[in-house]
Amino acid sequence: MNSARAATLSLLWLLVALLAPAAHAGRTSPIDDTGTLPYDAPLVLRWQQLSPRRPVNNTLTGTTSIRVRLKVGSWMHRTGRIYLLLPAQSPGTLTASWTTQGRLLPGRVISGSRTLVYAGPVTTAFLEDVLQLTLNVDARQMDQLYHVNFQFQMDED
Amino acid sequence: MPPRRRSADRWRCGGTYRAPRGERRAARALIAAPALLAPLAAAAFTVTIASGNPTTIYLQVGNGTFTGGNFDAGGQPANNTTINNETVTLAAGVVGNGTKQAMTTNSTASNSFYDGFGFCSAGTQLYIGGFYRRNGGSSAAAVVTATVPAALIDGSGDTIPFSQISWTTGGNGDAGAEPFPAGTFVAGGVQTVGTIARNQWAESCWTFSYLNTVLPPAGTYTGRVTYTLTTP
Repeated sequence: MNSARAATLSLLWLLVALLAPAAHAGRTSPIDDTGTLPYDAPLVLRWQQLSPRRPVNNTLTGTTSIRVRLKVGSWMHRTGRIYLLLPAQSPGTLTASWTTQGRLLPGRVISGSRTLVYAGPVTTAFLEDVLQLTLNVDARQMDQLYHVNFQFQMDED
Repeated sequence: MPPRRRSADRWRCGGTYRAPRGERRAARALIAAPALLAPLAAAAFTVTIASGNPTTIYLQVGNGTFTGGNFDAGGQPANNTTINNETVTLAAGVVGNGTKQAMTTNSTASNSFYDGFGFCSAGTQLYIGGFYRRNGGSSAAAVVTATVPAALIDGSGDTIPFSQISWTTGGNGDAGAEPFPAGTFVAGGVQTVGTIARNQWAESCWTFSYLNTVLPPAGTYTGRVTYTLTTP
């Protein structure tokens, strides 16, 4: 084996090693949710507790309806777990909770974490549900408009 | 064929270099690798959040008005233009003797509009309270000030310094410091008489006294103090 061939094989092994986790079960992938409506939902928050008296409650809250449409055809005939991720972001600590119409699981997530919304086989190209999404945020963090980003993720079994 | 060079060198040299087939494969593989390793396009829906709560303040000194019930039941404050009085009548024999004289009020506000709680004793105590709500990072409190004339004046132009009036503070069921503490008027000045922390309801009951350390001519002396709530 000459040195060039040896170098080539080494590179290929390196690639195999690099690519192996991606092809392995348990891989996490973002799910295309561009069919979700509204895709950038406006939400006006209100005081959670009407009356300002001790103990102080600075929480603002608001609920909006989101028609979720997840493009899961890439995982057809496989099983997996879908999570709703709320990345850590401005304006700070956020809490989101939601109810569903049954296709996805209801739940709650704090910014910087994710929560399971589906587990099982993927049998359709799209997974759809309507979420009643409630967001809570500390009013002391609210100085302006904020775009709160969510992401659905697929963990393949 | 050019002489064999170390692969790193070829980017520094002009001319054409054709790598051996094995290296070409590796190069193709290396080019393909980033494409395979690049994350999938990350779709993500967003929710744009905005506060629907403008800064809100309410100050009540004496009688006030709420509509739709108390605040904790969804009631909302309304304007009340009543100007309440604190009064005391001194007998001739006690004027200027240094004994404090309790004042009474025509304010009928005894219950807190927060929840209807019987907080003050109407007739002897003057209710002072309010709330201050706002978003954002500022944690400073709203401040209540009193604008005090120099003196109370009678029809003849005789005067009694406003510093002859003081007050104690309290409230049914309260313990500890009051948001509107006890004090004495500063004649001819603007003085802070209390604070309302952000996102809190604050209230106290004041009992006024005439200090009675001066000897004015007989007469009816009046003056008006104006209270102002200022947000940061």
